[in-house]
Amino acid sequence: MSDPTWDEFAELALKRIARSGAEYGDIRIQDSSTEHIEGEDRRIASIRDVQDIGFGVRVLYHGAWGFAASSILSLEEVPKVADLAVEIAKGSASVALEKVRLAPEPVHRDRVVTPYRIDPFSVPLEKKTDLVLNTMETLQRQPGIARSSARLWARRDRKLFISTEGSRLEFDLLAGQGECTATALHDGRFASRSFNTPHLRKGYELIEEADFPREASRVADQAIEKVKAPVVDAGQYDLVLDPEHLSLTIHESCGHPSELDRALGYEANYAGTSFLTTEKRGTFCYGSRHVNLVADNTESETLAATGYDDDGVMCQRWDIVRNGMFVGYCTSREVAPKIDESRSRGSNRADGWGNVPIVRIANIGLEPGEATRDQLMADVKRGIYIEGHGSYSIDQRRYNFQFGGDAFWLIENGRRTHMVRDVIYHGITPEFWNSCDGVADRSFRRRYGFITCGKGQPGQSGWMTHAAAPARFRRVQVIRGEGSP
Amino acid sequence: MTVQSGTWPRMTSADEFRFLSELVLTRSSADHTIVSLRDHHAGTTRFANNQIVQNVDARRGSLAVTVAFGGRHGTASTTNFTAGAVQDTLARAERIAQVSPVDPEYLPPPVPCVFPVRETAKPETMAAGPVKRLEYANEAIGHCRMENIMAAGVVSSSTTAVGIAADNGLFGYERRADARFSLTVQAGDATGWGAAAHRSIDHLRVQERTLAAIAKSKRGRDAYELSAGDYPVILEPAAVAGLWAWLMWSLDAKSYTKGTSPFAGKLGQPIVDERLTLRNVPDHDDLLGVGFTHEGLPSIDSVWIDRGILTQLAYDRFTAKTGGVETIPTLEAPALSVEGPSAHSIQDLIKSTERGILVTNFWYIRPVNPRDLMLTGMTRDGTFLVEKGEVVSAVKNFRFHESPLRAFQCLSAWTAPMEAVNSETGKMLVPAMALPHFHFSSVTRF
Repeated sequence: MSDPTWDEFAELALKRIARSGAEYGDIRIQDSSTEHIEGEDRRIASIRDVQDIGFGVRVLYHGAWGFAASSILSLEEVPKVADLAVEIAKGSASVALEKVRLAPEPVHRDRVVTPYRIDPFSVPLEKKTDLVLNTMETLQRQPGIARSSARLWARRDRKLFISTEGSRLEFDLLAGQGECTATALHDGRFASRSFNTPHLRKGYELIEEADFPREASRVADQAIEKVKAPVVDAGQYDLVLDPEHLSLTIHESCGHPSELDRALGYEANYAGTSFLTTEKRGTFCYGSRHVNLVADNTESETLAATGYDDDGVMCQRWDIVRNGMFVGYCTSREVAPKIDESRSRGSNRADGWGNVPIVRIANIGLEPGEATRDQLMADVKRGIYIEGHGSYSIDQRRYNFQFGGDAFWLIENGRRTHMVRDVIYHGITPEFWNSCDGVADRSFRRRYGFITCGKGQPGQSGWMTHAAAPARFRRVQVIRGEGSP
Repeated sequence: MTVQSGTWPRMTSADEFRFLSELVLTRSSADHTIVSLRDHHAGTTRFANNQIVQNVDARRGSLAVTVAFGGRHGTASTTNFTAGAVQDTLARAERIAQVSPVDPEYLPPPVPCVFPVRETAKPETMAAGPVKRLEYANEAIGHCRMENIMAAGVVSSSTTAVGIAADNGLFGYERRADARFSLTVQAGDATGWGAAAHRSIDHLRVQERTLAAIAKSKRGRDAYELSAGDYPVILEPAAVAGLWAWLMWSLDAKSYTKGTSPFAGKLGQPIVDERLTLRNVPDHDDLLGVGFTHEGLPSIDSVWIDRGILTQLAYDRFTAKTGGVETIPTLEAPALSVEGPSAHSIQDLIKSTERGILVTNFWYIRPVNPRDLMLTGMTRDGTFLVEKGEVVSAVKNFRFHESPLRAFQCLSAWTAPMEAVNSETGKMLVPAMALPHFHFSSVTRF
């Protein structure tokens, strides 16, 4: 007898849910393969091939949720887990005051596949370890580099989503990324500089197109320059921020506050709430007229462009901030009706079969402007150009933030002059975005993804991409990231 | 409820793990083979706005196989425990190892030893299911409803079967129970907070912690803005734990030897107040000690900071061997203590403070500078001005910019160690402490 198909397992679960009298239910069956190749100090420290298969059943019974999941995909286990999800939902319903009402969504039957040129799992391992070793060798060839690291990461998710409403969605998704870091020692100090490809839904061509030998050489040179650079003087500066750096600023100060579940208090005990409370939608000046932040889960190759979310809602594009005005949230079928929206934005995602979907930041990006990067700098008398990610922290309502970076250059009288180190800037989110007075044009736009966005209890890792072109911010407070600030 | 979770799932037993590991070890063609088990069953009941918003129960069993041919090694893992899948996992690990470059730092599996047997499997936690969790969640919500304030939080319980086996005879198996409760209550713009983690779900003290959080939120109303700057502070245990967690995470021996550690050159030197001692106490009832680590090393009682002096580093096996360190200490059950007479309570610390800031907890602590362990983060869920021995007002939350290596150079006063846990750190025993200097760099809007 042949093994049961995933559809047969799903049917088994959905029948139990239907028989229970629940108003809604779905099952996600997922088989994920992840390859991690990690190099440290000129050696391959670990190679891990992780296979993770399982299923999760979600049930809405009399307006209350239950969820159960298991890594044993069998004819015996599936009905047990489905029944447990129903029982848990009944327990939740017994104490529910306000019933969950799902925003309607058309029934979808579709298959979503990541286009790729080179399957990362088909590339010989020796070729990948050679790249990692050669990259570290290039990094450490530069005198003064004390430590090096390089990593490659690839993931394939095969997933089936079927709901009691009739949606059937099949996914075969790929993602990948590569990176390297050099750490320089000088005069008792150390400093690191990194190169990262973006996390994107592409094949191994993402790695081949990145030119690691050239980037490793650049990173090593800049690590040396960074560790020897003078420490920044505290004070007010104009900042020009590169796209990779901005991706984190956008993520923390715009992405999280635009999650509607946070604004409604669902995350109050962990990730926090949001200063973008619901009465501010359409009335609150989040940023200057140059600030247009658009959620786009339809842009190919980006992490949240999966065709559909884990509510079975089709991916969409919508405005979060339009001409500086806060206008939209990231939502799910559960929370969208709470602000009288007739349809979810399709931002409800789980990080695997074992977790329940929660509202996630979409692919929120800063829309390009009309300047070139040099034009942005030309109008700066005393400023700092910042690349990459460094230290970051923000309060639980997303007002007060503090960011570092990976590399900093002084801008003096319109020209980028020399590196400085230990730059930290801080501010209040709407004041900061209102100080934006220029964004570079589309030719400077770059995309960077996140796969470790922590949220939820139990904790989950969210995936999304943030695109930006360099942008300029006026009179931002900068402090020193060492000793007394 | 008639939830069947009392019988589901049946976790992997020691005998079953031995069977699975033998399936791998007897078929492996590698020079060395290690099999690791993590079979985790966890349930979480989550509430917000005084309602249950999420109620979940999940089981994930995972088996990892690491093999080595000479110094070439590779690891593969699976969540499928059928014989065919387990053998396929071995084959995948072997394929990786056969083409991997030689790792000059590779070491064979640890020498077998008898692991300490610890009471990690509390039956009351392993038996707790959605009903028990719902009962505790309702208890917390009920107190908040009576006060007309909003609660958000979680009650969770889990059981994890952990195992390690190697072809040299190394074998360990342990069941670990874990129960957690945390809540944030919101009274207008003010919040209060409480949290607990314990092997026993009966030790979460839900009512006590809920009432304390409610009291904190009520006291936090009408917060006013105090200027940023240097202040004396009273740090409650969760706030102390937040800072010490980063100090402990930075004790990596390899970074130390490479010169990329904030402690470089400081082993054997004073790094904090001479009255402070940090130990690992895996047998303590209120800590989450284990019998062995994921590498197959026994967890042992050890001293890391002895009266202010750094005496220990966190070793990987290769760095330990290179450095001639024979016994590798672990730090999964940290206990920080202060020598000398302590205050009886946090209230006593407040009474002895002329002027300072009382901090309930920190949030989003991140390193600013790894060289001097400069950290930043926000105060959260209860920040107060203390004057002449009394809490006189709530103040808006501060961002701090401070290194624990500076802040804990000199203590003004302290309590006995208390249980501490927050959303970003593990469980610790730490005193509440009064410090004469702490730098707040900016203020937020609430």
